Amino acid sequence: MSHSLDAYLVLSSLLFAIGTFGFLARRNAIAMLMSIELMLNAVNLAIVAFGAFTPQLAANGAVIALFVIATAAAEATVGLAIVIAIYRNRRTPLVDEYSSMRE
Amino acid sequence: MGIFDAEATTTAGSSTDQLLILLLLALPIAGFAITALIGRRLGTRAWAIAVPAIIVTWAIAMFLVYQTLIVHAYPDGGIHFRLYEWIPAGSFQVDVNFAVDALTAVMLIVVCTVGMLVHVYSIGYMAHDPGRWRFFAYLNFFMFSMLLLVLADNFLLLFVAWELVGLSSYLLIGFWYRRRSAALAAKKAFLVNRVGDLGFSLGIMAIWTTVGTLNFPEVFTQLPALYTSGGLQTWQMAGIALLIFAGAVGKSAQFPLHVWLPDAMEGPTPVSALIHAATMVNAGVYLVARAGTLFSYVPGAMVIVAAIGIFTAILAASIAFTQTDIKRVLAYSTLSQLGYMFAALGVGAYAAAIFHLLAHGFFKGLLFLDSGSVIHGVHEEQDMNRMGALARKMPITHATMLLGSLAIAGIPPLAGFFSKDEILSESFKNGFLWVWAIGIVVALMTAFYMFRLMGKTFYGKSHVDPVVEPKIHESPWTMTVPLILLAIPSAFLGLVVGLPFGNSVISNWLKPVFEPYDVILGRSPEPFQLFGVDGALILVSVAVAVVGMVAAWRLFGFFVVSPRQALVDAWTARVQPLYVASKNKWYFDDLNDLIFVRFGGLVAAGLWWFDVHVIDGAVNGVATLTQGAGREIRHIQTGRVQNYALGIAAGLIIMAIGFLVVVSR
Repeated sequence: MSHSLDAYLVLSSLLFAIGTFGFLARRNAIAMLMSIELMLNAVNLAIVAFGAFTPQLAANGAVIALFVIATAAAEATVGLAIVIAIYRNRRTPLVDEYSSMRE
Repeated sequence: MGIFDAEATTTAGSSTDQLLILLLLALPIAGFAITALIGRRLGTRAWAIAVPAIIVTWAIAMFLVYQTLIVHAYPDGGIHFRLYEWIPAGSFQVDVNFAVDALTAVMLIVVCTVGMLVHVYSIGYMAHDPGRWRFFAYLNFFMFSMLLLVLADNFLLLFVAWELVGLSSYLLIGFWYRRRSAALAAKKAFLVNRVGDLGFSLGIMAIWTTVGTLNFPEVFTQLPALYTSGGLQTWQMAGIALLIFAGAVGKSAQFPLHVWLPDAMEGPTPVSALIHAATMVNAGVYLVARAGTLFSYVPGAMVIVAAIGIFTAILAASIAFTQTDIKRVLAYSTLSQLGYMFAALGVGAYAAAIFHLLAHGFFKGLLFLDSGSVIHGVHEEQDMNRMGALARKMPITHATMLLGSLAIAGIPPLAGFFSKDEILSESFKNGFLWVWAIGIVVALMTAFYMFRLMGKTFYGKSHVDPVVEPKIHESPWTMTVPLILLAIPSAFLGLVVGLPFGNSVISNWLKPVFEPYDVILGRSPEPFQLFGVDGALILVSVAVAVVGMVAAWRLFGFFVVSPRQALVDAWTARVQPLYVASKNKWYFDDLNDLIFVRFGGLVAAGLWWFDVHVIDGAVNGVATLTQGAGREIRHIQTGRVQNYALGIAAGLIIMAIGFLVVVSR
């Protein structure tokens, strides 16, 4: 365990960047959901790291992270449900085929 | 206080009186409603409800007149009562309230009597018209409106009645609406009246903002109180009076709004007799007399009233000289006589004005009904150049019309002599010499053009279409009986109410209403001098009437005197420009056409251009801009989730960078 906050933040922002890239670049809806999870966890990591290195936030950091995990679980459930519903209609997981909302 | 209020005070009249007043309004409007609903099924008996309704109305009115004028059953101020509160809008409160005083009673005499006789006459006159049920319904509606006008006790209710009589006038002028000229005349009457009504409504608003009430008794005490205490400038008081007068100018067809009345002759003749001679056109005179308190405080405004009146009188008389349509001559004569009435109001001779209104209502109603009988007799011909020698073929019509003409010319002892003489001598004695002088000239002209009409119609050689000639006949009894009944007051009214000179019956009737005006004007009645100034004035006015009459006899024929067409032609040739100008009604219609149709049309076209290009341009420009922007911007709506996500990400990054930049500074 490193004793520098910066290392955790660098790891967190790397993870976030990967998540963002995945969300923007992948065409598969499932993969996009996974990218979202990655971004959420990057944020979680940053929060826990802040909590560990800042005495005033010691307890709060963990609580906030728990809230984020709970919310992420709910979001993943809803997201998956939507993806499955669309998949049943369109027979494809690729988001650029979902173009009926175009202009 | 309600109609059956047990605690009704004396000024409110007994509940019987109130019921009778309401019946005066209820009967004609019920007649209108029933005739309008089922009149078509009555066929030739379309009059069966309308005419009896008016006869009963007449009887009730005569009872009220008797109560008011003869036995003085009511207090001097008349009876005033409120039916219900009409507009309770905060401080703006208007009631439906009615009043019967001496002035209203005199108006009731002429409105109900002429109205009733015209209804009876119409049974015969409209017998062959398929639209007769419509005619009788409108006539009843007019009676309701006119009675509401004279009974109303506040300005707003009077204004409503004012508009309703205008509406019935419009409907009846345009009764034969398939005829283009009739439809146009109806429209013209309506539009010209609007001009006057605008002034009247502004006057009413001014009164309300000044004293906060519209009830006659309160307005006529509070406005003068405010004026005398200095709370109101002279120009404000004169302004209110003149705005009200503007309404009167429109309704009573005075210069410069006189152009609608001659065209209104497109309506059926009974309508011309009732609305455009005897009743509705008198509404303006009634209004000015009613509001006489306001006028009496501002002599300057009264001079304007007198000037417009006497100018209209001479203008219309000069046009009547050359018209050949029998009804138009009478229409211009009506204008001229109404001018006399306004002149009388302007010089402060209120009782004389109302006397002339009463007398004129009878003899002009008679003359119009006579002209209708003539037109009926020669099969709908109105051009006097195609009449002549009708005296023997239509004896009753001829006799009554001769009497009417003598009456309007002012030959004693007929009605017109008393009333006209009173106007002229009052203007002389009140110091309005110019009004008197012009009035004398108009009296001469009146006698002349009336006997020109008589000569061309009844005497000389017949110019009637030879096909029609053998079929000329006297009118049926429903038409001749009203003629005879109207001839009676035309002959004897003056003897009954115009005597004794200087203290006549009618001026005593009207004293409760008009005496306060005289007090304001600071006039006291002078003793009548038969062998002094008054006798001389009577001699002068009778003399000019006789001169005009005899001149017309020599030129246009009279019983055994045969017409001298050569002399007429020679005279008209001598004053050719004047003749042409008079024949063209002094070009007022052309002037109006130039100002309002041509020039007004240009202005309207300009405004239209502005509307299309600037106003609509701005509105359409906004719409086009929005549409175009939408059309272009919708391309970024790709339907791809990731494009949107990229947008969100880019936005977030820009916001983050912006935040950092701001924080670091």
